[in-house]
Amino acid sequence: MEPVETPRLNDNRRWMTAPTLGGFIGAALILIAIGTVVGSARHVLPESVAILLFMMGVLVSAAGFGFWVGIASAFGALAGFNFLYVEPHFSLHIGEPQDIIKLVVFLLAAGITGLISGRLREQVDAAEGRARALEVVSQVSSDLTHVSSQSEIAKVAVRHLNALAQGPALALGPVDGQLRMLASEPEGYLPDASELEAADVAWRRGRPEFAAAHGWNGSRLTFYPLSGDGGKSATPVLGHARISPDRRDHGWREQAIDVVLQQSGQAMQRLSLSEAAENERRRATSEQMRAALLASLSHDLRTPLATILGSVTTLRELGDTLAPAAQDDLLAAIEEETGRLGRYVEKLLQLTRLQSGMEVHLAWVDAGDAALASVNRARRAWPNARIEIVMPTLPMIRAEAGLLEQAVFNLIENAVKYAPGVIRVTGALDDRTLVLSVEDRGRGLPQPITEWLSSDSMTRAPQGSGLGLPISKGIARSLGGTIAAHRNPQGGTVIEIRLPVPEDHGA
Amino acid sequence: MSARQRILIVDDEPQIQRFLGHALNAAGYDTLLAANGHEALASITAQEPDLMILDLGLPDMNGKEVIERLRLRSDLPVIVLSAHDQEMEKIMALDLGADDFVAKPFGIGELLARLRVSLRPRRAARVDVIRQDGLTIDLDAHQVSRGSDLLKLTPKEFDLLAALASNAGRVMTHRKLLQQVWGPAHVDDVPYLRVFIGQLRQKLELDPARPTLILTEPGIGYRWAQPEGGLT
Repeated sequence: MEPVETPRLNDNRRWMTAPTLGGFIGAALILIAIGTVVGSARHVLPESVAILLFMMGVLVSAAGFGFWVGIASAFGALAGFNFLYVEPHFSLHIGEPQDIIKLVVFLLAAGITGLISGRLREQVDAAEGRARALEVVSQVSSDLTHVSSQSEIAKVAVRHLNALAQGPALALGPVDGQLRMLASEPEGYLPDASELEAADVAWRRGRPEFAAAHGWNGSRLTFYPLSGDGGKSATPVLGHARISPDRRDHGWREQAIDVVLQQSGQAMQRLSLSEAAENERRRATSEQMRAALLASLSHDLRTPLATILGSVTTLRELGDTLAPAAQDDLLAAIEEETGRLGRYVEKLLQLTRLQSGMEVHLAWVDAGDAALASVNRARRAWPNARIEIVMPTLPMIRAEAGLLEQAVFNLIENAVKYAPGVIRVTGALDDRTLVLSVEDRGRGLPQPITEWLSSDSMTRAPQGSGLGLPISKGIARSLGGTIAAHRNPQGGTVIEIRLPVPEDHGA
Repeated sequence: MSARQRILIVDDEPQIQRFLGHALNAAGYDTLLAANGHEALASITAQEPDLMILDLGLPDMNGKEVIERLRLRSDLPVIVLSAHDQEMEKIMALDLGADDFVAKPFGIGELLARLRVSLRPRRAARVDVIRQDGLTIDLDAHQVSRGSDLLKLTPKEFDLLAALASNAGRVMTHRKLLQQVWGPAHVDDVPYLRVFIGQLRQKLELDPARPTLILTEPGIGYRWAQPEGGLT
């Protein structure tokens, strides 16, 4: 982003104190012009018209060139009029009382006009100054809306401070507990020792350190700490030149500087807030994953452990009083729960392997055999579940048999847990893609999980997806395939693992 | 009146219900089962069990809520089953009136011991003198002695000792002890309590570094050791 040229403030004119030479010459030229006209038409023009013409000249000069030129012009006009009209002609003699009255009237007219026009000009200048300050201010805020780093803020701020204070401007920021230059305008400006000290004081105390008055020893720059959000230690310091208090627009400049400082501080705050928000979001995401994993751990790990320990201690401590049927049931519970624990630990290991960027040992694999193995395993784990398998002869693919079996097993396990009814495992060839699918007659997967399965994201599995589906996805992906879920036309869900079939190796 | 006491088991895991059922039956209790908080509260009203074993991770309402609702109408003894990541909920459950807790996974012996203590009537025939491990605590006379030596306790130390020892085997939360001994304004002054427990241990325990009378339940409170052989 290339910032636009900074508008500069005009110097205000100070009409009462500084009549210019140009003003006097202008007034003189006006009088000479009037004198020439009046002089050449002296016999035609009545005295009253001539005096009005001179008066007009005085008013024009007073309005145009200010109070003092107006006064001088009044004397000149009276002299001119006397010279042309008053006896003796062509002399500058002032004798009559009416001449004094004329002089007084001329002076009054010149003075009042000069004052009024001066005040008007002052108001116009003030309005202009305010407009310019506002321009600077709006420029600052628009420059600062796009900044994305501390040093960019510093650059924008020093450029405007330099323009406003018409002197060097600096931005310093703490690095390892020491202030370092962030930006300066003019570029390459080297602060002297007193300036560095003042900056340091401002930074340490967290309040402005003002420049020394003109003619005194000390820093020539005023330093302000920017109130960012990162605490005092991370706060940068801005310095700008001292503005001479006798400048007419001193107030405007100071106000504009205040605005620059304020806006830079706010930009700084915005920056640190958005950084904090980003960190917070990242933390929350990993926290969520951890929470989901923990919840899953407590459910899948703790219950089997509690059941096993409870059953074993019951058998040991109360064995004599337990009915034989109860003893059998406890032993069966221990067996079942040990199996559950084993499956869970297996899954955790797979997940760890998948997450740590696993190495896949590819070999020629019959996907049908792998699917059959997982069905057999599932039938052993859940003897009551109805699991069918329809598996034609499929071409060999490059895969790791254990992983493939686990991927299909997880899908079956999911179906067993959430979908009562028949579960059907099928294999098919779709062009050069091998498709293994697990169909159930359940209520279907929640939308976020369906979307996540076919997305590219490997992390942030939606809540409720458990461990099985993410692992199946991870396996499908690492074997170069994809996974997707869709509604079964007969009701329920179909989850498909699609794997590429290599070109040169058929069935 | 049935000779066997009835225990209500509230847990959403069928496997836990399964082994608890066998164990409690074998230990001489009748069992009632509930899989969630609503069933539990309904069962308490309909079947009036003698004690409830409550899992804190129920699907429909948290255990804290079950206890809160229960305590509005009944002082049925409650033992909560908790997991390690339910520490806060466990403490709240105890403060709300649960009698004790057992952390999962647990051996059946531990649960049965807690069960026996909690089933003991809370206002048992008032004991005036507690004798344990060579220590004699005379609650009426406010005197504690080891053998023939009279131990000097401050009144507050004695009150604390009395609160602990007359609940032998029961966990006493920090909050409960502070409220009982120092009053409701001090329920959060746990460091204060710790100092007093330290002083009591110095005076009572044979080896204050390895206490056998005042046991610490980390983060929860203290438990006066169950006398050898238990109370039956």
